Amino acid sequence: MDHNDAPMATETQDEDHDGLISILERIQAKYNYLPQEALREVSEETGRSLVDIYGVATFYRAFSLKPRGKHLVSVCLGTACHVRGGPMIAEEFERQLGVCAGETTPDKEFTLETVNCLGACALGPIVTVDGRYFTKVGTAAVKKILKQAKEGLGKVEIGTDERVFPMEVNCPRCNHSLMDTDHLVDGHPSIRVTVSFGKMHGWLCLSSLYGSYNVTSEYPIPENTVAYFFCPHCHGELLGASDCPECGEPMVRMIVRGGGVVQICSRRGCKGHTLDVDGVNL
Amino acid sequence: MTELTKVVMRLDGVADAHRLDVYEANGGYSALRKALGEMKPQEVIDEVKASGLRGKGGAGFPAGLKWSFVPQDHPGPKYLACNADEGEPGTFKDRWIIENNPHEMIEGCIICAYAVGLSHIYVYCRGEFYEGKRKIEQAAKEAYAKGYLGENILGSGFSTHLTVHTGAGSYECGEETALLTSMEGGRGHPKIKPPFPASEGAWRKPTVINNVETLATVPAVITQGAQWHAGMGTEKSKGVKMVCVSGHVERPGIYEVEFGVPASGIINDLAGGVWKGRQLKGYFPGGSSTPVLPAEKADVLYDYESIAEAGSMLGSGALIAFDNETDVVRMAEVITRFYAWESCGKCTPCREGTRWMLQIYERILNGGGRMDDLELLLSICNNLEFKSFCPFGDAAVGVVRSTINLYRDEYEEYIREHKVYRRRFVPVKH
Repeated sequence: MDHNDAPMATETQDEDHDGLISILERIQAKYNYLPQEALREVSEETGRSLVDIYGVATFYRAFSLKPRGKHLVSVCLGTACHVRGGPMIAEEFERQLGVCAGETTPDKEFTLETVNCLGACALGPIVTVDGRYFTKVGTAAVKKILKQAKEGLGKVEIGTDERVFPMEVNCPRCNHSLMDTDHLVDGHPSIRVTVSFGKMHGWLCLSSLYGSYNVTSEYPIPENTVAYFFCPHCHGELLGASDCPECGEPMVRMIVRGGGVVQICSRRGCKGHTLDVDGVNL
Repeated sequence: MTELTKVVMRLDGVADAHRLDVYEANGGYSALRKALGEMKPQEVIDEVKASGLRGKGGAGFPAGLKWSFVPQDHPGPKYLACNADEGEPGTFKDRWIIENNPHEMIEGCIICAYAVGLSHIYVYCRGEFYEGKRKIEQAAKEAYAKGYLGENILGSGFSTHLTVHTGAGSYECGEETALLTSMEGGRGHPKIKPPFPASEGAWRKPTVINNVETLATVPAVITQGAQWHAGMGTEKSKGVKMVCVSGHVERPGIYEVEFGVPASGIINDLAGGVWKGRQLKGYFPGGSSTPVLPAEKADVLYDYESIAEAGSMLGSGALIAFDNETDVVRMAEVITRFYAWESCGKCTPCREGTRWMLQIYERILNGGGRMDDLELLLSICNNLEFKSFCPFGDAAVGVVRSTINLYRDEYEEYIREHKVYRRRFVPVKH
């Protein structure tokens, strides 16, 4: 194959005509680094010398010839992030992880690196973890970011993941719809309920996407708080039939339109839930 | 009072502007219809020429002129490379365009392709723009489905295609010739000019390279006319510029203004002034590659000529302000470290020079600086500037030379008192 030959005008977005960088990107996406065997194969397939491919692989910062950790933490040290305290953030990450920038933790969980600019200077200091952005990061947020990363940031991708789907629910007592079309969460109508915890009493909007745990509420609900959930129409408590399988706190019960029961844990932060559609327990 | 003039950012605040239906409802693709239906390719080029639209990626080269350099009678394919490899520290305007309004850029690309007769559009998107790449691909898919891209666009008989190509983390690839080598699948090394990309570019075919913001301005120029565009800005810098304000200001962000507003107006009126009630010490008018201007020159007008007269460059329009508590020497070291790291390594003056400068900076910050180090730095600057294939070296010396000239006393304080920059943290070793 003569790589001086450009893709001709008549060919549309043809996968086979991707440049070398795209090929390497896809290998890296699969293995998290560029294994030697894969590079040899690329050399054979494309007819380019291995040294050429090695040259490209080492030139670009995104490629790594060494295995990397499960999560990639990139701390921005660009000019704008630097003047806003980027180095302190990098240092805090080094301290928390116990490795220097450019290294991987011994448990292969995290790779820490510093980057020069992530192109979001107005929101600095910036940190990205597995491609997700954290903006205006302070040293206090570092621990939380690492914890969040361990729990799995990219576990559920709303909109593309098949495990996430919208559902509509009713109150089990008055059968009134709990859907709120005015208040969107995740871009879909939310499930609006009333919650009370401590001396607080206010509304809470849950994401109607099964698999998403995003909520907005009138009052911030502290982590681990067990709240009481009420129907905003009949004010009856949405009491579940069982306790949470994960933490044992009471469950909240709602009727799925079209048949079925969904139960969610009443403890903030707990992801325990059950879905029972027409007798089939998922 | 400095006011915003929204041209590229006219859909700022409109929900889902990245979707084709929303973009069309706000007058999107009417420029393409007008260009394809009512204008000949040469008329489009003349219109853009008459509008005075200048490249907004850094050099400020007139866009229409660049387009007219492409040989019309060249047999075989010709290409458009849309430079979305925005890597200049402090710049984040292209990111806004491709994430919030990608159709504006794509429409501009198609109009450019029509005017110059280009058969394929490559959008070279920065590798770190995960979201941006997804948005462009989605937008291109919508445009293909609607017949704005592909064969026989809108029944005009003109055809062009669009491919998104991602970089892999290299600052140098934002330089036009390096971008082309990277697109061809090599290390991102620049090539010597001439031949210019307009005659021999990607795969040795004539190639137009324009910045995202430049192309995104084209639809407005076509719909509203060259006169409208030429009526904005100053005599030589016509039109508007998206200024990315960052650093020590209260409200950092992107502000689209006409050329010729005072820089202090952008900092104080739009960005809310210097933060924490402190004083401005200086600012980079166009990104970290441009020489620093002191606070006394904050009133300079924000256009190519005025800033050049003040001793700096407008660059990509990234205004980074820093307050009077900033350690300038340390700041210069950080930027020099960036350039030392990002130098592609092709030309010796740049590859070696940036590293030497970094080592001297490290020496000064570690308390071991010598008085003649400043002269040594300036001499390296002279030996670096204009000595390599691409303007990378010139960019690297900007901050060094300007900070030594402006804040020489701070450098001398470091050296005289053997002051050590206290790095806060020594990593734990296991």
